[in-house]
Amino acid sequence: MNSTQRRITYALVLLLGLAWTFVSADKTGISTAGQIPAPQAGFLAPDFELKTLEGGTVKLSDLRGQAVLVNLWATWCPPCRAEMPAIQKIYNEYKEQGFVVLAVNMTYQDTFANIAPFVEEYGLTFPILLDETASVGPAYQLRSLPSSFFIDRDGIIREVVIGGPMAEALLRTRVEEILK
Amino acid sequence: MIEVFRSLFAPPRHFILLIAALWIGLALAEKRSERHGVSKEQLNNLTFNSLIAYVIGGRLLFALSNFSAFSQSPFSIFSPNPDLFDPMSGLVAAILVGLIYGQRQKLRLWGTLDALTPIFAMLAIGLHLAHLAAGTAFGSPTSLPWGIDLWNAVRHPTQLYELLASLLIFGWLWSRKADSPSGLLFLHFAALTAGARLFLEAFRGDSILILGGLRLAQIVAWAILLIVFIASESVRRQSQSL
Repeated sequence: MNSTQRRITYALVLLLGLAWTFVSADKTGISTAGQIPAPQAGFLAPDFELKTLEGGTVKLSDLRGQAVLVNLWATWCPPCRAEMPAIQKIYNEYKEQGFVVLAVNMTYQDTFANIAPFVEEYGLTFPILLDETASVGPAYQLRSLPSSFFIDRDGIIREVVIGGPMAEALLRTRVEEILK
Repeated sequence: MIEVFRSLFAPPRHFILLIAALWIGLALAEKRSERHGVSKEQLNNLTFNSLIAYVIGGRLLFALSNFSAFSQSPFSIFSPNPDLFDPMSGLVAAILVGLIYGQRQKLRLWGTLDALTPIFAMLAIGLHLAHLAAGTAFGSPTSLPWGIDLWNAVRHPTQLYELLASLLIFGWLWSRKADSPSGLLFLHFAALTAGARLFLEAFRGDSILILGGLRLAQIVAWAILLIVFIASESVRRQSQSL
């Protein structure tokens, strides 16, 4: 290919690329956010209603308007244990600004009798929810413990952190994001 | 099959795919680095130094941009959590360190980029595999028979489209004869990768939209194509004048 043929090819490729960019533009401006519930950043957080350790119930969608951290955990999981003090500390700092922690215990994979002593040991004051029938774990496609979902005031998942323990600075940066 | 793969390399295990891709890319690049005027030792040192700069730079700049959060818990900077990281800052740090190392070793820019191209091409493959495992870079909903069930919808398997494109790009680059002017191997890789992204972005369901629905990644890819074409002409002119 000589120099002229090459330059014509470049020009054609650029023109086609430009045309494709305009043809494939998403003119409706539709994004995934808020449309389909799925456990992924940009999607509506799958709703759930669970019993708390104290016997009450909490429904995620009732917390719309507040920034929510859904933390999936179990008492036997070392990184879950390691990150709980940081979660409690951040909860204390930001709860007045509308930050809520829902610590969903994977009760179907855990020993119920161990939960209350765990909560007492770490002095946890946020709601401890019990997933006794494996409703939340599968809905959030749980593959590793702990898993954390940072949900904004509109109910959209903004960040997913799989594994742990989460550092205090990570919690703080993510919570400040969802509180905006 | 995809589900088995996704379970096996579910986050955070998907990083294994990137590390494996880097290792394979480096092993392949070593085989041909001498022909581009870069010794195996220089290639290894350049890669290692840039990698260290990527990790440290990405973490430090993340900490600096979130200074108030880190000032209250400074030890978080040593956390093994990979989410405390800014990939773009890491990339800038890696390029800077690579340039400094290259200048000290008096390496030629285009020859060095050619020598590194197998690493870049393998990293692209690893990245798309990691996307497939994590379910990120997902496609828009489709009714096509090859759609995959992901995030509660049947979607274009954009991770597979991009994986296939990167495999073809790698195969084509690896099978090329070594008679082209210095720099063209890298520029061809950049052009093909940008072209593939420009085309395949149209099927993505997570595009950042600007200016009435235009996809930002396509505009960036188009600009890269333009720069690469200009650079290709410059490289050819330089080689003809030698």
